[in-house]
Amino acid sequence: MKPTIVKREPVVDDALDHCATKLTPEQIEKVVNEVIDKETGGRLWTYVNTCIHCGLCAEACQWYLSNDRDVSYAPVTKVKDTIWVMLEKKGKVDAAFIKRCSEIAHTECNVCRRCGMYCPFGIDIAYMMMVVRRICAKLEMVPLYLQDTVHSHAATMNQMWVKPDEWIDTLQWQEEEGQGYVPSARLPLEKEGAEVMYSVIGPEPKFLAQLLGNITAIMKVANIDWTMPATAGWDNSNMAMYSGDFEVMARVERLHYETAQRLKVKKIVMGECGHAFRGAEYDGPTWMGWMRPPIPLIHAISFYYDLIISGRIKIAKKAEGPITVQDPCNVIRNAGLGKKLRYIMNAVCENFVDVTPNDRHNYCCNAGGGVINVGPPWKKKRVQGNRIKAEQFKRTGAHTIVTPCHNCHSGIEDIVNTYKLGMHVKFFSEILIEAMEIPEDLQP
Amino acid sequence: MVNSENWDWECKEKLVADTTKWKSQFEDVWEPYISPDGEKIASIVKVGEGEFNIAVNKETWGEEPFEKIWYPRFSPDGRLTALITKEMEWTMAVDGKTWEEMYEYIWDTKFSADGKVIAATTKQDGVYGITVNEKTWKCPVNLQSIASYVISPDGKTLAAIAQTVRLAEADLDGFLKGTWSVVVNGKPWKDNYVDIYGLTISDDGKNIAAEYRAAICEYGIVVNETPWNEKFGCTWEPVFHPTNSDEITTPVRQGGQWFLATNGRIVWDTGFVSLLYQTYSPDGSKIAAAVAPQFAKWTVAVDGQPWSTTFNECLLKPCFSPDGRKVAVIAKDSGNWLLVVDGTVLGDGYENIWPPAFSPNGDKVIYKVEKNGKYAVAVNGKVKGKEYEALWNPVVSPDGTKVMICGVEAGKYYRKVVLLSDL
Amino acid sequence: MYEFVSGPLVWIAFIIFIGGSLYRIYYMLSNSKKETVVFPHMSLEHSLASLVHWVIPFNNQYMRKRPIFTIVSFAFHICLVFTPIFLLAHVILLDESWNISWWSLPEGVADWMTIIVIAGCIFFLYRRLTDPVVKNVTDGSDYLLLAITALPFITGFIAYHQLFAYKTILIVHILAGEIMLIAIPFTRLSHMLFFVFTRAYFGSEQGHVKHSKDW
Repeated sequence: MKPTIVKREPVVDDALDHCATKLTPEQIEKVVNEVIDKETGGRLWTYVNTCIHCGLCAEACQWYLSNDRDVSYAPVTKVKDTIWVMLEKKGKVDAAFIKRCSEIAHTECNVCRRCGMYCPFGIDIAYMMMVVRRICAKLEMVPLYLQDTVHSHAATMNQMWVKPDEWIDTLQWQEEEGQGYVPSARLPLEKEGAEVMYSVIGPEPKFLAQLLGNITAIMKVANIDWTMPATAGWDNSNMAMYSGDFEVMARVERLHYETAQRLKVKKIVMGECGHAFRGAEYDGPTWMGWMRPPIPLIHAISFYYDLIISGRIKIAKKAEGPITVQDPCNVIRNAGLGKKLRYIMNAVCENFVDVTPNDRHNYCCNAGGGVINVGPPWKKKRVQGNRIKAEQFKRTGAHTIVTPCHNCHSGIEDIVNTYKLGMHVKFFSEILIEAMEIPEDLQP
Repeated sequence: MVNSENWDWECKEKLVADTTKWKSQFEDVWEPYISPDGEKIASIVKVGEGEFNIAVNKETWGEEPFEKIWYPRFSPDGRLTALITKEMEWTMAVDGKTWEEMYEYIWDTKFSADGKVIAATTKQDGVYGITVNEKTWKCPVNLQSIASYVISPDGKTLAAIAQTVRLAEADLDGFLKGTWSVVVNGKPWKDNYVDIYGLTISDDGKNIAAEYRAAICEYGIVVNETPWNEKFGCTWEPVFHPTNSDEITTPVRQGGQWFLATNGRIVWDTGFVSLLYQTYSPDGSKIAAAVAPQFAKWTVAVDGQPWSTTFNECLLKPCFSPDGRKVAVIAKDSGNWLLVVDGTVLGDGYENIWPPAFSPNGDKVIYKVEKNGKYAVAVNGKVKGKEYEALWNPVVSPDGTKVMICGVEAGKYYRKVVLLSDL
Repeated sequence: MYEFVSGPLVWIAFIIFIGGSLYRIYYMLSNSKKETVVFPHMSLEHSLASLVHWVIPFNNQYMRKRPIFTIVSFAFHICLVFTPIFLLAHVILLDESWNISWWSLPEGVADWMTIIVIAGCIFFLYRRLTDPVVKNVTDGSDYLLLAITALPFITGFIAYHQLFAYKTILIVHILAGEIMLIAIPFTRLSHMLFFVFTRAYFGSEQGHVKHSKDW
């Protein structure tokens, strides 16, 4: 098979460039074979022996479509340029090859699983990319900023190097912000036996603290018995899952659930994030030997759906003008919340304009799967790799895009800016806090 | 240990406080806490805009409110501590009296077993430390952060997982050289590690151990600054033998399976999909752990032998009866929490179950359960007595004949003592 | 020669095909057990749902998006499987040797079905040569597999119409069929065996575990 012609602008990534110089052929061979022999099984073998090289997966991928159907971005090409070679050469590949593998798996694939849905055999290409990531992680061939984030998870059990005191201090400050909406609102810390533990991702206390103030007010209006932990275990996000460092991934998820078990809550409600749902609902529990989370996990979309449909939150004033939505892959295609998302969008928007394709067929934001976390060096490629997303939003004519996921939010902000769409990007809770009715006895 | 012999085991029922009055007295009343002997109940109460106090039984902590109060915790000797702020600075308050020193921040209150030592993590001028009875560690290096700390039962040894080296942003090499270590009573261990987890002190306070991470997928156990020779794909928290502190046991991962290892040597020859929460019997002769012999099939293994009953969701930490003959565990199966003793499920499933107490001979397991949002005491699978709005874990008297049950009914907080034989 | 290819070799081909297929499926299943999550994640209901949406033409969004490919692909595979099984000549052979027989296709229909298979092969060959994505992942093995698939039908067509040396062509035809049978378990033609399993797993993971759908 001829090598794929790959045309890319060179990207300087200090970690990949530096680590590649340290790799030895023996080390590469050992790790590749170790992962393939001991950590994979019938699935990988069957996938490789079933793929008939039909190329139907290409149409699924936003990278391929946005880059004028550049073959090197097609999902099957990504498998060809990584796994096929590793298997064929039994791990005897060089450092430059591993570097390219990391670029493909970490910076050119969002493991969004759209291609799996378009493969006639249901071959899960994203799974194969995760195997590639695992190999790269064990060789320390992970892009700089993603690896730094994983180190943060390992050291602090959160994504953003947030120290224990900074976390609690932020919650206490945001409790006051929430009281700006509802004076009697409280953000209860460490309340054992509460119904709900609310967990968020690291960037919330770090950059988007107002979301914690918003939830404080929303919880009061909805009269939810809730709590947040004042210890590590508050962060539900997990970039270690995406770098391929599954041991750190498992430790983070374990702590998240053990914190909920310690607080004796009935369920965990999590903020608006997609990958965090994947890690906490699926990848983490699977590694731990749990069929499902040991404490039920409710995504913000389901939570708001329940609050609105049950009347615990009433809508006083719907948001005006055309508003559209981004379906986050990890909670829509890979968790089936598409209908609920549409219900709550219609509930709070006067004029909700849907995207096409939508629901589980929607295009990935191109930021998910850890791709935004590989950082600034790779940003240009990432934004160019989702032109079709910009075109899709442009067709809606909306003034605002709601993104119930942090990675979608950041990724789509980049797309809005680059393609000059002139749209606002908001979380659902930001729309809800303005639209919901605050009962008289709770008003300031 | 706190001496519960001096507690009142005679008075059958005491109305300690009527907390319904608090609701009319204060703007807001937070969740209550009780003293270990059950004689006091306390809540943070809001007395005005940005003004908080603590109500304890019929009184409050003095007249002067605080800007903020949180983390009310009773020490084992019955003193009430809380973290408070005045003029944007934080400190500890003990029975209403604040420590002299104020801090940038203070959190994570912990006590010695007798309650004489009160400790917390503090931050002052950007430097982290542990403050023990108002004295902050004098550490030769500026600690960049403290992830967590542990305290020996006698309160003489405190050890923290601390960042001892400053790390520049996105400095991967610096991180892998090691920036974390263990700091014992203010003195850091000689080596730094990539990461430190699962810090523990032996009951006699002599030995300290932790998991450490040597490289991306390389973990080991370090005891008193000396790592085990063996390294593993992953480890979980190590546990010291209760009477022989030279022995330490931990789950280790090898070839994709979990094994139990003592002092570096695999002691259970069966590998598991998962292995957590290894627990020694009181005399240290047996070890029980939560294991999954197959994916999503959880049970307890005692000395490597799994029970035949399995549970499809999860298990909490197993515990031995005082005589070491029985093992109880809280398990979750198909959405229900169950109490299981030696592989037999006792009674119904509940919305929640709290860690059980055994009678001295192990015949009875007594525990708090939740059903339909109310709480009750259950014994060997059957609910005994009333339902409560709030309830604390039942406590067995030192002579093993009585049980203290503390709970709130219709806003009134009662402390009751019942004969174990009546349950 | 004819006796050998139409006698012992048929036996050998079928034994290898069936034995090989069973072995490959066993190998796949036992290796899947190594990954502890695979079987616990499986669900019959979602496996069937996935299969229903992918074995019925136009029963999922992607097939509707690519009507030509869908039509060609379904026509090709249906004809590929059913023509040899229900071909009158094959049924007669079976009847003569073993005295068992079943319904057979009218000869004209079978002829057209053969043409469809050959045309399908040409279509796939054309895609391999022209579609940049497919071309990029095509190597000698893909052409070989296409040839292995096409040859029994091309030779069968020639033999039926007695266009060339009938006896020789017939021997080549039987040989080609035997090669294909032997190739199925040990080449990527095994997608015929694994289709049900890969679909069932993805359908289960998507439906049972992730509460979504895969169509």
